[in-house]
Amino acid sequence: MTRWAMVADLRRCVGCQTCTSSCKHTNATPPSVQWRRVLDFEMGSYPNVKRTFVPVGCMHCADPPCMHVCPSTATGQREDGIVTIDYDICIGCAYCAVACPYQARYKVDKPVFAYGKKKGMKNEAYREDPARIGVAQKCTFCSDRVDFGLENGLTPGVDHEATPACVNSCIAGALHFGDLEDDTSNVSSLLAENQTFRMHEDVGTNSGFHYIWAKKSETDAPDDKLELLTELSRGVGDVGGAEPWVQQHWDWRAAGNFIGGGTGTGMLLATSLVAVLGAPIVPMALLGLLFIAAGLFLVWLETGRPLRAPLNVFFNRKTSWMTRESLVAGALLPIGLLAVWLNMTWLLIVATFVGMGFLYCQGQILKAAKGIPAWRQPQIVFLIIATGLAEGCGLFTLSSLIIVPHVTMSLADVLSFIMLLFILIRTWAWTRYRHALSQGAPKGTLKSLRQFSPWMAILAHTVPALLILLSYLSPEYAEPTLGLAAFLIMLGGWMMKFTIITRASYNQGFSIDRAPDIGGGAGAGAKPGWVLK
Amino acid sequence: MAKKQETTSRDVPTYCYQCVAGPDLLTVRVENGVATEVQPNFDSADVHPAAGRVCVKAFGLVQKAYNPNRITTPMKRTNPKKGKGEEPGFEAISWDEALDIISGKLLQAKEKGLNDSSGYPRVAASFGGGGTPTAYMGTFPAFLSAWGVVDFGFGSGQGVKCYHSEHLYGELWHRAFTVAPDTPLCDYILSFGSNVEASGGVCGVKRHADARERGIKRVQIEPHLSVTGACSAEWIPIKPKTDAAFLFALIHVLLHEQPWDKLDLDFIINRTSSPYLLGRFGYFMRDPETRKPLIWDGKTNAAVPFDTPGAEPVLEAPFLVEHGIEVGPDGREWEHRNERCQTSWEKLVDHVRPYSPLWASKICDVEVKVIRRVALEFLEHARVGETIEIEGQTLPLRPVSIALGKTVNNGWGGFDCCWARTLMTCLVGALEVPGGTLGTTVRLNRPATSRQASVQPGEDGFMYYPMNPTGKDDWLSKPDVRNANRTLIPLVANSPWSQALGPTHIAWMMQKVNPENWPKPTMPDVWFVYRTNPVISFWDTESIADTISKFPFTVCFAYTPDETNHMADILLPDCTDLEGLQLIRIGGTKYFEQYWDYQGFALRQPAVEAVGEAKDFSWIATQLAKRTGLLEGYNNAINKGAAGVRLYGENFDFSLDPESEHSVEDIWDATCRAASAEISGGEDNAGLDYYREHGFKVEPFERINWYLYPEMVKQDLRFEMPFQERLHRVGQQLANRLHQMGISWWDAQLEEYDPLPEWKDYPELWERALEENFNVDIADYPFWLVTARSMQYAWGGNADIQMIKEVADNVAGHGGVIINAGKAREMGIGEGDLVEIASPLSSTKGRVVLREGVRPDTLVMIGQFDHWETPLAKTYKVPSMNKLTPMLIDLTDSTGSGSDLVKASIRLLEKAS
Repeated sequence: MTRWAMVADLRRCVGCQTCTSSCKHTNATPPSVQWRRVLDFEMGSYPNVKRTFVPVGCMHCADPPCMHVCPSTATGQREDGIVTIDYDICIGCAYCAVACPYQARYKVDKPVFAYGKKKGMKNEAYREDPARIGVAQKCTFCSDRVDFGLENGLTPGVDHEATPACVNSCIAGALHFGDLEDDTSNVSSLLAENQTFRMHEDVGTNSGFHYIWAKKSETDAPDDKLELLTELSRGVGDVGGAEPWVQQHWDWRAAGNFIGGGTGTGMLLATSLVAVLGAPIVPMALLGLLFIAAGLFLVWLETGRPLRAPLNVFFNRKTSWMTRESLVAGALLPIGLLAVWLNMTWLLIVATFVGMGFLYCQGQILKAAKGIPAWRQPQIVFLIIATGLAEGCGLFTLSSLIIVPHVTMSLADVLSFIMLLFILIRTWAWTRYRHALSQGAPKGTLKSLRQFSPWMAILAHTVPALLILLSYLSPEYAEPTLGLAAFLIMLGGWMMKFTIITRASYNQGFSIDRAPDIGGGAGAGAKPGWVLK
Repeated sequence: MAKKQETTSRDVPTYCYQCVAGPDLLTVRVENGVATEVQPNFDSADVHPAAGRVCVKAFGLVQKAYNPNRITTPMKRTNPKKGKGEEPGFEAISWDEALDIISGKLLQAKEKGLNDSSGYPRVAASFGGGGTPTAYMGTFPAFLSAWGVVDFGFGSGQGVKCYHSEHLYGELWHRAFTVAPDTPLCDYILSFGSNVEASGGVCGVKRHADARERGIKRVQIEPHLSVTGACSAEWIPIKPKTDAAFLFALIHVLLHEQPWDKLDLDFIINRTSSPYLLGRFGYFMRDPETRKPLIWDGKTNAAVPFDTPGAEPVLEAPFLVEHGIEVGPDGREWEHRNERCQTSWEKLVDHVRPYSPLWASKICDVEVKVIRRVALEFLEHARVGETIEIEGQTLPLRPVSIALGKTVNNGWGGFDCCWARTLMTCLVGALEVPGGTLGTTVRLNRPATSRQASVQPGEDGFMYYPMNPTGKDDWLSKPDVRNANRTLIPLVANSPWSQALGPTHIAWMMQKVNPENWPKPTMPDVWFVYRTNPVISFWDTESIADTISKFPFTVCFAYTPDETNHMADILLPDCTDLEGLQLIRIGGTKYFEQYWDYQGFALRQPAVEAVGEAKDFSWIATQLAKRTGLLEGYNNAINKGAAGVRLYGENFDFSLDPESEHSVEDIWDATCRAASAEISGGEDNAGLDYYREHGFKVEPFERINWYLYPEMVKQDLRFEMPFQERLHRVGQQLANRLHQMGISWWDAQLEEYDPLPEWKDYPELWERALEENFNVDIADYPFWLVTARSMQYAWGGNADIQMIKEVADNVAGHGGVIINAGKAREMGIGEGDLVEIASPLSSTKGRVVLREGVRPDTLVMIGQFDHWETPLAKTYKVPSMNKLTPMLIDLTDSTGSGSDLVKASIRLLEKAS
């Protein structure tokens, strides 16, 4: 077996960006796309400051989250560990990009040229590759060179023809490439002789990129507790920087899918519940299905390859929650429509169960996005379900009050009870979710959620609860108070998801476990832009 | 896929010499005639000190070739008015017309005489720094040589942005135009603002990375944490321009706090002038008969000439000298009998007594214990007494070195720092020995190709130095070029490099002010500009722009429009890096850290077709020679080596027929053949085809040649340390000459000719000069503004290369003004805020970059920007300190250099969105 891996010696790197440039040449990447780049970390406070240069890029993880989430199977993994992208299959959903904790993936939706002209320079025009437009792209470990080398009896990492361009170009001799499974390889020797770490070990990706920070010696003390500087560290980079930044891959359209999916499913559930009590299922169920469909339509708009998406999204049932969501949606919508068409309550109940599965998939989609700490919390699954149902219930109540002129008080009682129940459940889910994040999350995520939280607590939970209580106390005002409560419950959920998807969605950023030992001893590591408990 | 099958692909070997740390050998992949990719020339991996790797700048060359903003035809100005606000109205013309206009102007100038009424050359030429443009201008030097007299004194940054004091004193003391540690063997480096990780090129980076992995300790002493600081074991944030005090304190610790037997006494006694006796007037006490400096011989207990066989010099002279003379300026002599004399060593010991770490601590804003610890670490690491075998010779091993950055060794204080640095290494015997501090190359001494061969015995047991004369009869009283280098700067010598190393800002300044008793300033009739943009890269850029706009006829070899060629009369598009043909020397030892085991030649060749009507520089030079009637002189100059290689030797002759016009290929084929012959003793005559295929050809270069010490021992010469008797005398003589002419505006500079440098409060000197010249209260400018090297941009003229900008932005500080984060907080300034940065001279605007790694009293602006005409670059809105730094005689040192240093204020204009 072979496992290709990269080793970067942080003691040697000078941040010159020759590797960055060389990669751009070899792979003809457009402006601001840097499959390989070097970050500039600064740690500590004046005058006790350290500065460290850290090469990053695709880590070719053994357990790559990008591959697991990819709905089209465009992202794959070779037997030798290299994580690949098939541009001809990729639908450009960018799920892989948000799943990658190393911010290694890019998506370019239209041709971009260095000097901003409509047509590129001669070299750009010559090397333009339409296959790369609208799809995910990232470092390939120069697999074409590796393969060429192997076919010609060369050793990757040793013979330049078989070695990634960044390694070939590194003027400091900081980058090394080789086979980890071969005990005699250059990289195996380096790992045996030196102390190393891998970035974001806690995310569990089993990265194929190792950082040397010191020589091993017999007097090494057992690895003491790592100190990670957070507040006192920072980094820069043309593309993002070292601190987490808000992911730019999923915008309001993606949020729309979670809003539509959650509210729609909740609507189906509420409709089913009251249908059991004898209420009609049309038009409420139809409205619920419309929400779900609208959400899916919005997210489809966000794909880079919309023509491929409707088919290729189904390719990865094995591991992708996006595929599963699509499959479930594929069942949900016909069943739901059939239930509406035939006006069959039991079929609607079946659809509701399928819808619950759909909602569960949505929760899992976020959880599997390992690149976004605000999403990957296990608690998010329950939160997504809870808020979806709460929103649906709110929408149902609101619609009932608008569409059905005289809602019976018994139905109103049921609905108000359910809403109160969902307020409690969602409050609990939200609290749990935030507590989980408080254990360690990007500063920006916490700030964004902290800013949003009072709105959630007051407008989405406390005020509706008081309004519902008021409706009990003053039945003559029950309709407007319940209506307002329902609206706020629904709106609160939407705002919450919009916040989580587009505002609190800071990515993982970058970190180093250790500042390298360059003659003065190693230093504390850094996780810029994070708050750790 | 169809495209792939049809692809014809080849890797064209060539070189990149955009910066002085080159050349780097590379290949350009050319697919179907399109340059796509730069790679190291892997074939050079075994001969190149950095395994054939190529610096980031070279990767900008593909975009440079295809940049849509290139000037692709010759152009002529149609708007006679010149200035920043004037649209030049450039209009495309043919090469014929362009060359006719230029040669017409040249012939007109020639008719009037090569020199003008002030005695200055009518033709001037300015090229980018470090001699790098020479690697791109083909045979143009042969044309200039055939022309005869050219003023190269309008600098583009030289004297300001170079290692100026080091160039001059380095050459004097140890044939070191620049200085480098013997990094592969060194264990401890004190680096005062030297930014080798950004400026040392691929060789510097590779050698230091190897050293770090090996465990070298480098202490970085500078006001901000540079890229090099990042790669160092320790950062000591010193107050700007106080490095000399720190260095003096190090010497104090070694001489006053440590037993002398820890020092390399053998080196001190036998390889320096420490035992030389001094008379009461501050000159060496000399033997009345031989005029040789006296030493005290411990064996005979008598004063004897320094080179007396068998003498055992002592450092402390215990008795009176019976009879001796001192020789002062202009032949003045003092005779002494039974004179109590100190040795130079004793004088030195007395001299540095006040310079304790406690004293320096207050000046440098560095803790006493840190200064003392550094001195002791330096001493411990020196391993005095140890030896190493290099190519069969046993040499001292002294793995300690001191490196100085630009602002540290430029301008006032530069002499002090260079002296102290060189002395520190002498005290432990670490000068020019394995592991120690080495020179790289010679540019003022001759021959330029060998440091060893440049070592010739001079007076007093030191090396000969080609000082510009200051005697009554031989001083050049009337400057021959506008920066007056030979008149004012004895140390700058008179090599082809000397003009550019003169006080180049004086040439600019004197266009505006005519100092007393000085020839009337004149403008050149014709000014050639290549690979430089002084309107951006010099100081006081607004004033430079104004001066240039008045020049009557300017010819710019132009790649894109820029701020300097905005004032040009003619623009000529020459072939860029990947389009032209030229052979250059590689290998040996050369700045910054190029220490090779080989030497030879490398070819730059057209990898792609020239864009538009761009022409090879050698073609342009030939055409100019032909049209000005200089073809014969031009060809002869090429034959003599003006294009880099002499075309004939002992057993070979590839000379060109002087009377014919030769094609570019023929010229370089002959050059290639001569080069091959030169390195093979005439046996090989591989021509252009060989170099086109392989890119380079080398022969072994012995590692012993990295060190000057063996040559010094062989010739039994001493390094001219510590006492600067000769310089002191020269300074006195220069003072006499200038005063006889009624010139007093150079008096402050004359005071720098101290035999032992005394600390002067340099920060205060700066503040006072700014106050006096601009009538400001310096308290209104609380920050020191400094600059730092950008590896991505430096020298490359590549600010307009999109990819360079993109990748440079990954390195902190590009794109704004760096300020200490805590200080900024106090001032209510945040990351990305727009601020105005003002100096007493001018102001500029920029975005704030917050860093902890900078002193709270210091601002940093990396690189050189503030473009207003260069396409793309003018959109960056990045500030540059060049606009804020004044050119002042008061801030010019005796070598004619100044520092990138000014006081500044900062004011919030707009919060970041």
